[in-house]
Amino acid sequence: MDKKTNTFSNKTAKARGWIQAAATLLTNIHLPNLCKGKIYQGNAKTVCVPGLNCYSCPAAAGACPIGAFQAVVGSSKFQFSYYITGFFILLGVTLGRFICGFLCPFGWFQDLLHKIPGKKFSTAKLKPFRYLKYLILIVFVILLPMLVTNTIGMGDPFFCKYICPQGVLEGAIPLSLSSPAIRSALGSLFSFKCLILITVIVLSILFYRPFCKWICPLGAIYSLFNKISLLSIKVEDDKCIGCQQCTKACKMDVNVLKTPDHPECIRCGACMKACPKAAIHYQFMGKACKSSDTHVKNNTNKNKGDF
Amino acid sequence: MKAKKKLSTVLALCITLLLTACAGKETTEPESTPNAAATADTAQAADGADAKLDDLYQQENQLFADHKDVWDKVFGMMNKSSADPNGNYADYLAGTVTSNKDSFTDEELQTLNEDIETIRGIEEQIAALENSTASDDTAATGSSSDTASPFSNFSGTDYDGNTADGSLFAQNAVTVVNFWFTGCKPCVAELSKLNELNETLKSMGGEVIGINTETFDGNEDAIKEAKAVLESQGAGYRNFSIDSASDTGRYASDIMAFPTTILVDRNGNIVGDPLLGGIDNQDNYDALMKQIQAVADADSADK
Repeated sequence: MDKKTNTFSNKTAKARGWIQAAATLLTNIHLPNLCKGKIYQGNAKTVCVPGLNCYSCPAAAGACPIGAFQAVVGSSKFQFSYYITGFFILLGVTLGRFICGFLCPFGWFQDLLHKIPGKKFSTAKLKPFRYLKYLILIVFVILLPMLVTNTIGMGDPFFCKYICPQGVLEGAIPLSLSSPAIRSALGSLFSFKCLILITVIVLSILFYRPFCKWICPLGAIYSLFNKISLLSIKVEDDKCIGCQQCTKACKMDVNVLKTPDHPECIRCGACMKACPKAAIHYQFMGKACKSSDTHVKNNTNKNKGDF
Repeated sequence: MKAKKKLSTVLALCITLLLTACAGKETTEPESTPNAAATADTAQAADGADAKLDDLYQQENQLFADHKDVWDKVFGMMNKSSADPNGNYADYLAGTVTSNKDSFTDEELQTLNEDIETIRGIEEQIAALENSTASDDTAATGSSSDTASPFSNFSGTDYDGNTADGSLFAQNAVTVVNFWFTGCKPCVAELSKLNELNETLKSMGGEVIGINTETFDGNEDAIKEAKAVLESQGAGYRNFSIDSASDTGRYASDIMAFPTTILVDRNGNIVGDPLLGGIDNQDNYDALMKQIQAVADADSADK
C-alpha cells in the first residue's frame, strides 16, 4: 500500500483535477477581458494552445489549433496549414491524448459536469460513435473549408461555425453578454449552436466525456499519435495479476491490459488508481515514471554518466 | 470522496456564476468610470449639480402631471423624428402646440402657454448647469470628454494615395463607414452590396467608405491585397488606410466582430448603434437603410 501511494504516476493521476484547472487558467489567462468583452489580440495569439479553447474567448491566451487550422486552410492565401500540422505532430508525438486528459479546458468542463450527482450511463455499447469524430475531422475541418469557397478562394471554418460548442460557451456567450451590438446580431445560427452546447452539457452529465469520445476533431488528431507518443502507459506483466480492475475503472472504455495505448485513452490514470498491485504507470520514451525516488535517482545517475 | 464531489460541484457552480456575475457588473461599469476619473472635489460638486438638475426635471414633470389631460393630448401629437436635442425644449413644445392650435380650447391653450413659459425658465437653468458640469469634466480630466467622436480628427489615405480628413464627413449628409478585413469572408461577401449602396446614396448626398483593419499604418502588402479583393467584388467606393494609434484606429481595434457598419453624420458624430453582419442579408440591409433615412432626414431638417 505504501508503494502505491508513493508512485509518481499515481500522484500525477490524483492531481489531475488541479492540473486541469491550472491548464484552463493558463489557457485563459486574460480574465479581466471577460468582463470588458474585449478579445486579447497580442502576439501570443499567433501561437496555438494545446487544448480545444476558442480564439474568441476574451480571456484566451492563444489560438485554438482546430480553429487556426481551418482559418489557414480556408484562406485564399494558403492551400494547407503546414505550421499547424507541424504543431499537431509535435504535440501528438510527445504527449498524445494526455492533452485531452490533463490540458484541455473543454475536457475539464465535461469532467466537472460529470461530477454532478445523478444516474450515470456507460458508453461501452456506443463504441461505433467513436468513428464520428474522424468523419468530422475530415469533412468539417479539412474538406469543407478547403473546397467550399467563394470566387476568390475563401472558405468558412465549418467546424467552428456549425458545430463547436466551446465557441458558444467561451466566445459567443461572454461576448454577447458584454456587447449589445453583438447581442443584436445573434440569429438562428446562435440558437442552433446553443442547442448543441446544451445537448453536450446534458450528455456530459449522463455520460463520461461524450464530446471527446464522439465529436472532437482535435482528440481525433491526437488519438492517431497515441500508439507512438513518447508519453505512454505501461502495464508491468510481472506485477499484473489479471484482475481487470483497470478495464473496469476505465471511463473511456479501453481494455487497459490488451491495449494500454489505445487511441481512446486520454491518459487520465484511473486505471493506475484502480490497480491493486501498482502495476500500471506512465512512461516517457520507454523510461518509467514509477516512483518519485527512483525517478530522481535514475536521472542523477544518468547525468553523472554524461559528464 | 463525498466531500470531494461536493467541492467539485460547488466549484462548477462558482464558475458558472462567475460568468453571469461579469455580465451584471458590465452594465454598471460605464456609468461609474467617469466619476472615478474625476477628483474627489469635482465629484462632489458634480453630485450637487446632479441633485439640482434632478430637482429641475422634477419641477417640469410636476407641471406635466398637474395638467395631465391636456399635456397627454400634446404628447400624442408629437413627431419623434423632428425633435431637436440642442434647442430649448420649450420651443419644441410651443411648436407642437401652435401647429395643432385648433385641437385645443382657449382655456387649455392658456394653461399650456403658461406652463411652457415656466418650462422655458427651467430649461435655461438646466442648460446653464449642464454647461458648467461639462466644462468641469473637461477641466478635471484634462483631455477631451468621453463623448468626443472617434471621427472628429479623422485622417486617412485611400489606396491611390489621396488623403482625406474630417471634412469628408461634412461633405455628406450621411457617411456609412464599413469596418472589414481582407481575410473575413462575410465582409468580402457584402462588398458588392456596399458598392450598390454607395451608388444609391450618391443621390441622397451620402457616401460609403471602407476601413480595412489590415491596412492600418499604410501597410503596402495589405493594401495591395485589399485592393485586389475590392476589385474582384466590383467595389469602387473609397477605402482608407488609417493610423492605428489615431482615435479612429483605436475605435476600430475595439471592434470584436466583423463586418461592423456605422453611420456618421455631417458633424462627424456616430449616429445610432453599430450594425454587425453583412448587408447582403436583406434584414440587415433594411435596418441600415431605415437608419440612413433617419440621419438624412435629420440632416435636411437642420438646414
